[in-house]
Amino acid sequence: MLKEEILKEFQKIVGDENIDDGEVTTNTYAYNWCVEFVNYLANKDPIPFSSIPKAIILPSTTEEVQKIVQLCNKYDIQFKAQSTGLGPWNQPSTDNCVILDLRRMNKIVKIDVKNLYVVVEPYVSGAQIQVEVMKFGLNIHMPGAGPMASALASHTSMCGPGFTSPQTGHSARNVLGTEWVLPTGKILRLGSLGLKKESDWYSGDGPGPSLRGIMRGWVGTKSGLGVFTRVAMKLFPYPCNTKYIAKGHSPLYDFHLPDFIRAYLLDCRNFKHLEKSLLRIEEEEIAFICSHMSSFAVMAIFSYSLESLMDKIAIGSMKKPLVIVIAARTKREFDYKQKVMNLIMDELNLTNIIGSKYEPKSLFYAECLRANLGYHGFIATGGFQSAKGQCDTAALCLNTERKNIPLKQKYIEKGVIANDFGEGAWMTSYESGHYFHMEVPTLFDQTNAESVKGIAEYMEESNQMDLVKHLGTPFFIEGDELHDEWGPHLMNYHIWLRKIKETFDPNGISDPGFYISSKKGDV
Amino acid sequence: MEEEEYQKMIKRCVRCSVCKWIPQVQIKSQKYASGCPAIDIYNFHPYSGGGKIIIALAYEMGRIKPTEELRDIVYKCTACGNCAVACKYMNTLEPLEIIMKLREKLVNTGCGPMPQQQAYIEAVKKVNNPYNEPHEKRTDWIPDDVTLDPNAKILYFVGCTSSYRRKEMAIATARIMNEAGVSFNILQNDEFCCGSPILRIGDTTTFEEILNKNLDIIESRGIETVVFSCAGCYDTFKVDYPLSRKFDFEVKHTVELFDELIESEQLKLTDNVPIIVTYHDPCHLGRNAERYEDWDGDVVPLMPLVSINIPPKPKRTGSKGIYDAPRKILKKIPGLKLLEMERIQEYAYCCGAGAGVKSAFPEMALKTANMRIEEAEDSGADFLVSACPFCSTNLQDGINDKKSKLKYFDISEILLMALGLEPEKLKQATAEVL
Repeated sequence: MLKEEILKEFQKIVGDENIDDGEVTTNTYAYNWCVEFVNYLANKDPIPFSSIPKAIILPSTTEEVQKIVQLCNKYDIQFKAQSTGLGPWNQPSTDNCVILDLRRMNKIVKIDVKNLYVVVEPYVSGAQIQVEVMKFGLNIHMPGAGPMASALASHTSMCGPGFTSPQTGHSARNVLGTEWVLPTGKILRLGSLGLKKESDWYSGDGPGPSLRGIMRGWVGTKSGLGVFTRVAMKLFPYPCNTKYIAKGHSPLYDFHLPDFIRAYLLDCRNFKHLEKSLLRIEEEEIAFICSHMSSFAVMAIFSYSLESLMDKIAIGSMKKPLVIVIAARTKREFDYKQKVMNLIMDELNLTNIIGSKYEPKSLFYAECLRANLGYHGFIATGGFQSAKGQCDTAALCLNTERKNIPLKQKYIEKGVIANDFGEGAWMTSYESGHYFHMEVPTLFDQTNAESVKGIAEYMEESNQMDLVKHLGTPFFIEGDELHDEWGPHLMNYHIWLRKIKETFDPNGISDPGFYISSKKGDV
Repeated sequence: MEEEEYQKMIKRCVRCSVCKWIPQVQIKSQKYASGCPAIDIYNFHPYSGGGKIIIALAYEMGRIKPTEELRDIVYKCTACGNCAVACKYMNTLEPLEIIMKLREKLVNTGCGPMPQQQAYIEAVKKVNNPYNEPHEKRTDWIPDDVTLDPNAKILYFVGCTSSYRRKEMAIATARIMNEAGVSFNILQNDEFCCGSPILRIGDTTTFEEILNKNLDIIESRGIETVVFSCAGCYDTFKVDYPLSRKFDFEVKHTVELFDELIESEQLKLTDNVPIIVTYHDPCHLGRNAERYEDWDGDVVPLMPLVSINIPPKPKRTGSKGIYDAPRKILKKIPGLKLLEMERIQEYAYCCGAGAGVKSAFPEMALKTANMRIEEAEDSGADFLVSACPFCSTNLQDGINDKKSKLKYFDISEILLMALGLEPEKLKQATAEVL
């Protein structure tokens, strides 16, 4: 709880009803997905509750956020900002922290159809933006977390790959003008928004100050470096006609397929064949979705329950599956894309299983377009987390996946993670194959202590393997301990990261738990 | 929900927040993407379905105590069930059942319910209705021209709200059945509260007593079908009673019965009703009116950490609510045009009245009603129609508070107009349109 006089000062900023330091509310915010194994890795009790925040504050404007941050500096209280709030990254790392829940900042500020961007506040979900920009024939990038997640959080503060990444890229690449409340309480406006004259949101990197690398780098600072209150994001052409109608009843809605959309499920013989296929398909720039995943994961994305997952054996025995979705706005475009796909399949000796061995429900296409496929990861055990993740060439991503299989199998044999034959992986290209993303979704049971311990140890060993075998940097290198471990192997980046933290947050007020602390004096 | 299942399930929320929205593939606009009135109004996560699952876990772990803070948060929920529909689109959690179980636990410890709710429990115990109205006035709504048949096998269970507060619904229902030649009776002074408002606030002990009393009476009269114009009574008899005690009679909501009567031409819709309406799906007639299906299968371990149900365990997803019957009725009414709101059927937005909210938190009920009224206005309709006396009261309160131009009618009243039985009402209605 906050001291009475401090609570009153916060209340003056947001109003009595928008701050709560009660036991029930603060405990509720202490809970999150995967916190149990984060606790285990930190030698704490492996329960799903983090440190309890001192209070939860609901600001509604940038000015209120600024005042809250200034007050935190005044009283030496750390803060952690969150929006839709999925995952342990939203959790306070100390008992001296307030949470800024940005739920009341929920406006779509501007849709610029001509310059292809949208400006939003933190609590606007991907689906909310999509349905509004669809009215102009446009689309937004949504991360694997799904359409219910905050688009601003993904674009400013988190990793951000998604199923539609071949066409819509990566959150880090889609950030334009940004309004940023620094840990000191100052407001910094990046890109064209920072121009003194005729400022606007259209660019993140200039004219005007470009600090995108510092602001978010590749994986984001997870509220370790201030609060992002408004951001402009790139828009993309919607891949097909925008008539999105799902009739019937939950969960098996009957989706009225757009005129020009088609899925391909291809089985590659081995990793080499898979790499060639990925590169070849992406070289032609025709895919809306181009994802490689294990056969178990393929079964999952076509299923709406565990029981229905198990009846998809026809696609459960594939070697190296590849899921492709092409979509078009005209028949001519569609014919062209299908023709190219046919030529590639002939060239690489691939057969489309869809239409012969398996036919997905129409809802699959609805979920492709709404970026809802990632949520299927929860079907089998109710819990999953990606044990590693990287962004690199197709060759390195696949090499990592290959080398990870025996390690994962070791933990499967222990019975602490679910059996996907060790092959559970998800890989997508970004921007038509310019580079790739790979992660290893791992199914565990959050209610089973041995399973929690198991996935935590697997993640640790997996990270070590990446280091020893030069397999690239996992995306969950977060917090002081891991940065200190990885930094010396990677040009001492951690020293630079600390320097940034110290410069932007001299009082250490923005919770560094999933970023890095400045460790004053060490830098 | 059994205690063992509850203890397992409260550990499984992944805090994804889908419970705050309607199913993702049904979102059509930013404005109407949300599905939970409690989180929409109070904003803090504990007010959401997922938040209450976390509360349940924290409570079991002894991290939080049974305090007024806890009680207020747990009871600021209309138990509309949107969270359950949204969650179960993919997951197997039961947020609504967890909320109900949590309320039951709070009642058992003396922390719940809210004082206003406790007052209506006492009223039900004393005078058999939550409004504390004299029991002997329960049948005052019956007009002289309504014909009852003491030997009928069809029973019209009027319910407390229609008997005391929304008499127009009870009158319309009786007149329509008379018009169709349906022989029916009512329980007169042997009709008591169905127990719904008591169950929804967690007093399961009192609820058990009520359901046994009601079932004893109905079964002793050889009734074959019980008809309800109240969605709350209907849901309670259809879904909740059988969990405690099975019975042989059939339960029907009036929209089901009227739809059948129109199909069989026992009701002839003769009069033009040239109005534009939108239909509000009551939670208790829609997503929550889906029965639990018996399942006697096995949980078979498939591999470490993964077990499957053989045969598959039926999941209540809200898909089997009563959605078609009211729409079929409305579409058959000559001259009437039905326009849909964005959030309909199993993902309809709640009216805001349910689960004790109207009595304990009237401001929450009114705010929720206002949001729903705005959605109805945005549909382009001039009339808002529904099939529940609770929705009726709260939505009409919303219309008045918001000074909306919408007019509210129960579907039975609209039907009366189409049958030519309410020419004066029709005249008023059409005048508004013109």
